[in-house]
Amino acid sequence: MKKIFIFFLLALTFSFTGNAQEEISLKGKQLFGDMRARQIGPALMSGRINDLESHPTNPRIIYAGTAGGGVWKSNDGGATFAPIFDEHVQSIGVVTLDPTNPDQNIWVGTGETWTRNSVSIGDGLFKSIDGGANFEEVPGFENSERITSVVINPKNNQEIYVGVLGALWGDSTDRGVYKTTDGGASWNNILYVGPSTGASDVIMDPTNPNILYASMWQFRRSGWGFNSGGINSALYKSTNGGASWDKIHTGFPTGQLGRIAVAVAPSDASILYAVLETEDKSKNGLWKSLNAGKSWEHLNNDFGLVVRPFYFSRIVIDPKNPDIVLKGGLNGSISRDGGATFKNLGNMHSDIHDLAFHINDSDMIFSGTDGGVYRSWNGGTTFEIVENLPLSQFYHISVDDAVPYNVYGGLQDNGSWYGPSSSPGGVNARDWNSVGYGDGFRVLKHPTKNIVYSEMQGAENVWRYDIDRNRTKTIQPLPKKGDPELRFNWNAPMAVSNHQPDRFYMASQFLHVSENMGDSWTIISPDLTTNDKQKQDQSKSGGLSVDNSGAENHTTIFTIAESPLDEKIIWIGTDDGNVQVTTNAGESWSNVTANLTGIPANTWVYHIEASIHGKGTAYAVFDGHTMGDMKPYAMKTTDYGKTWSSIISKDIQENAFVRNIQEDYVNEDLLFLGTEMGLYVTIDGGKGWSHFTNNMPPVAVHFIDMQKRTNDIVMGTHGRGVIILDDISPLRELNQDVLSKKVHFFKTNPFTMLEESGFAGSFGAETQFVGPNKSTAARIIYYLKKRHTFGKMTMELQDMQGNKVLSLNPGKSKGINIVDWNFNTANPKMAAAKTLSFGGFTSPRVPQGQYKVVLKKGKQTFEHIIETKYDSNSLTSLEERKEQEALTQTMFNMVEDLAYLVYKIGQIQQKANQVIAAKGKATKEAQKILTTTEALRKDLVITSGDNYVATAEPELRERMGALYSNIATSYDRVDGSLKSNFELINEEYEREKARFQKIMAKEGKKFMKVLEKNNLGMPSIKTKKEFLTKD
Amino acid sequence: MKTLRTLFIAIILMAVAPMTAQTADEILNNYFENTGGISAWNALEGTKMIGSANAQGMEIPIEMYQMKDGKQLLKINIQGQEMTQYSFDGETMWTTNFMTMLPEKSDAETTDNMKKNVGDFPSPFLNYKEKGYTVEYLGKETKEGTETFKMKLTQKPVMVDGVEEPTVSFYYFETENYVPIMSESQIPSGPQKGQMSVSNFSDYQEVGGLYFPFSISMSGQGITMKEIVLNPEADATMFAFPTAVEEKIEDKK
Repeated sequence: MKKIFIFFLLALTFSFTGNAQEEISLKGKQLFGDMRARQIGPALMSGRINDLESHPTNPRIIYAGTAGGGVWKSNDGGATFAPIFDEHVQSIGVVTLDPTNPDQNIWVGTGETWTRNSVSIGDGLFKSIDGGANFEEVPGFENSERITSVVINPKNNQEIYVGVLGALWGDSTDRGVYKTTDGGASWNNILYVGPSTGASDVIMDPTNPNILYASMWQFRRSGWGFNSGGINSALYKSTNGGASWDKIHTGFPTGQLGRIAVAVAPSDASILYAVLETEDKSKNGLWKSLNAGKSWEHLNNDFGLVVRPFYFSRIVIDPKNPDIVLKGGLNGSISRDGGATFKNLGNMHSDIHDLAFHINDSDMIFSGTDGGVYRSWNGGTTFEIVENLPLSQFYHISVDDAVPYNVYGGLQDNGSWYGPSSSPGGVNARDWNSVGYGDGFRVLKHPTKNIVYSEMQGAENVWRYDIDRNRTKTIQPLPKKGDPELRFNWNAPMAVSNHQPDRFYMASQFLHVSENMGDSWTIISPDLTTNDKQKQDQSKSGGLSVDNSGAENHTTIFTIAESPLDEKIIWIGTDDGNVQVTTNAGESWSNVTANLTGIPANTWVYHIEASIHGKGTAYAVFDGHTMGDMKPYAMKTTDYGKTWSSIISKDIQENAFVRNIQEDYVNEDLLFLGTEMGLYVTIDGGKGWSHFTNNMPPVAVHFIDMQKRTNDIVMGTHGRGVIILDDISPLRELNQDVLSKKVHFFKTNPFTMLEESGFAGSFGAETQFVGPNKSTAARIIYYLKKRHTFGKMTMELQDMQGNKVLSLNPGKSKGINIVDWNFNTANPKMAAAKTLSFGGFTSPRVPQGQYKVVLKKGKQTFEHIIETKYDSNSLTSLEERKEQEALTQTMFNMVEDLAYLVYKIGQIQQKANQVIAAKGKATKEAQKILTTTEALRKDLVITSGDNYVATAEPELRERMGALYSNIATSYDRVDGSLKSNFELINEEYEREKARFQKIMAKEGKKFMKVLEKNNLGMPSIKTKKEFLTKD
Repeated sequence: MKTLRTLFIAIILMAVAPMTAQTADEILNNYFENTGGISAWNALEGTKMIGSANAQGMEIPIEMYQMKDGKQLLKINIQGQEMTQYSFDGETMWTTNFMTMLPEKSDAETTDNMKKNVGDFPSPFLNYKEKGYTVEYLGKETKEGTETFKMKLTQKPVMVDGVEEPTVSFYYFETENYVPIMSESQIPSGPQKGQMSVSNFSDYQEVGGLYFPFSISMSGQGITMKEIVLNPEADATMFAFPTAVEEKIEDKK
């Protein structure tokens, strides 16, 4: 009573502090409560690694800074990794451990530094002083975009140098080399060359912390080209802690330089290696200095040394031997003769960005690639992949309507794939299927046939893959006589029709449509882009080193959206800023770009979502990052693009540029926004947005799809694989009325009690990533206005008559709580024995029907009804199911009845032992009853042995328990074998019960009589009901 | 008297809630004062907690003893069989092997680590300075949907697989009432090493003037207390490694 009073008092106290009329606006974690995202990987093809960092003294610890998936730490020498940077931007430039306190102090410079077209952006400099448990942003680098180096004086950790490469798509003064002498409180820019030139490497002499080397790189990327090199690129040296810098180019060719890699030998500070990109091809590649940079000698311009400098400028020198040199590259290279000659590293995923020697044993080498981290044990000849880094970088994903549904998508440099959203034992690497080579982008399932469309970069190949027959056909639109050259985006758009299953769309500068799954194509639009010729010459892209991979193809269509309401309404968006719409299947097009108030000209139209809530309604998101504009843009129209309104609010981080939007098909106000900084959700049509961060890092979300049957939001992230937000339907119900309630239960559809019972081998799971499955349990979802902390709160499941089925553990979070119930009732009470009866751990399933959820909070009770239903794929008829349930109940009762019998025997024996111990009267009778009941007990339960190989032969309890479990867990009808076994067990039990009765009638009666006569007290025996009561 | 105390607590909660600037010690003081008072917590010699671990139909009765001198044990009851999940008598830590149902001593490292942090009862925060722990207030954070003070607790370093490592955990005190509602501690070893193991605390109720969470969820496993006994009788032999078994093992040698 007192507790209730306290609670009441507390409630009273606080109810006066808030204004009841005030609008409740919950954001982020307060709103989502314990709705958590589910990360299913895959790690099979991992993702791009930017930087590796070894602990200087503890070989068990190694860090991987990834291009789009945060920072991962291994505590077991690289066998497995775990993420430690999930609350911050996921694009990482560099990870540096403080040499004076490497266990605690970790510096993370964000923003990847291998500046390909698809790179993400960073968001400053971060520091942990507790081994990575928490990170805080270090002020001063908010606009750094990409940090290449953090160098800490090993003799004074207050003195730190930071190399900032800076903005990729525009001018910036936040570049160059920065220094602090107060541990990061204040910074000075000590080497700045110009607004387009950043620091690509800053290193320190291993013996003298006043000697520094810095390579400066002039570079620029646009949506349609890349330029590496210029007169500002140079290699600098300082001998006075950065107070002054001198170019050290003696021996280098004159003219423009590109990206320069530089490294100093840890074992000999006079030896430097540099990799140069110059105007003279014969002088590109590896240079070496034997006098700490006074002069340089050119050693090697093999392919591996000159390939794509913007992507592969990393030299790593063996810590003990200055002649052993590793170089990143397409395959990676190793020299064992001081750089004179090189051979390729062993087979692994291509595109090696960083390498690291084991600190004690140079035979062990770690490699960071476009496909994850690899380890070599034999000096770089054989490599094995780390199998638990789910860093996959999706450009696009889609889902089908299978049960469980599959997720389809294409990956940066890792092909195209599909895999299940749930799988026995979790989503394993082996569950994923390859459906395309090269860089993978869009992958779409045919709506009705078991056929998948996939593509590689620039639609060089578009495949139609017949899964059942294992046949592939190449179907990309090709120019016919009279057509101009087709311009496909690197990430070329494709779409399947919502209305005609065989209709398939693709787009170059034109919209192409096929009515026969890509066998033949018709162009149904004019050039819908700006067709700006200045943005169309990619043959010279790259700067000093031509890099015409097709990645910069521009003035192309990027998104196609056919209205789900009308097949004649089609929207397209282009990479150069046009939004066009047709309402007559392409006969005529309206360019509605001019109506996009507030969107800068030529801003990339990244996605258009044609709404299900109105024919004229659509959403368009715009991504200006390739013009240096990181702002979020999302617009909505309801009149076919004549007018648009922005649905962006201030809640969205200012540099979270938008790549995708997904509407809910039920509630028009519920929208999901995929940004470079993670997922945002609005429940009021964009007036306010909440960042979703429950088990969801702020990773770049490139594409969102919604699985309509399950109401799951499925995200293709560019760095953390597929992330799923299971069943968002509760969000549909949120409104002021709900938010102001103390407790609100969300509506749920009847839950199917799936009857699946397959096998799931877990081989390899020790070191492999396994994605968790979607829960198949009933989800009881409720909103709490306030976190429950004081007083009792319980949840019980009852049948409609109010009988308890079982207790559940309710969540107590403010916001949304989700409690899983796996349809089980309580398990039976088993007879006590020497060992465990595993059958007794089985809890029977409930029959289909309605159940009451009773939530008691303090003195208040809240009730909600949920419904369960049988699996429509059941092997049994309803009648057979009912028979199975009845027999389960019979066995359940029998098991508990036996438990009570054994209990009674135990209590009688306890009394008998007391009497025997007292050595008084009735000893003889006590001995007799003890002997007879013990003989019986030994036939009823196991009385010796253990739970493993010393186990005794099963007795009645064990056999009865096993039969009970077999029947209770059967999804098939109870037939032949089980029924005859039931007869056997039942008869045996009847016999043993009769035996007990007989003993009680004879030895028992005598014993009781003598107890009574001598006033020795009766055995204390609970009623059966008392015995079985669990609470 | 009880009503008075209740009223007092309610008033304190109301009074301290609007304060903004906080130090770690202020937060901890408020916590101890709101839940019974520091002297009452200091006077506590031990607890016996009786409850059950509940997992989808299976309710496993548990009994946990925690004593001021570091002795502790956890007993569970499965199918009428009582077994000691773990026990520590101040010197020896032991568990029950599930296969043989016999007691086995924990490895030296685990036992030593247990010894290093015996001062956790009734709360590692009580007199933490004397115990050689440090506590740091890291700022406010939303946990369980509600605003909390995030506190970092550093206990004595432990040995993990032969290497000394710090013992760090984070506690989240609800700003409204200053009681911890969540803790996170780094998993010390194994493939999950470094990941956070999360416990939630709720259903605080009064026992003999002190407030305890009657509902605890450890990494998703719910534990509900039915009864908490203060200063229980606890025979030292309860915690000791069973000697009979020790002799048996000796015999075999």
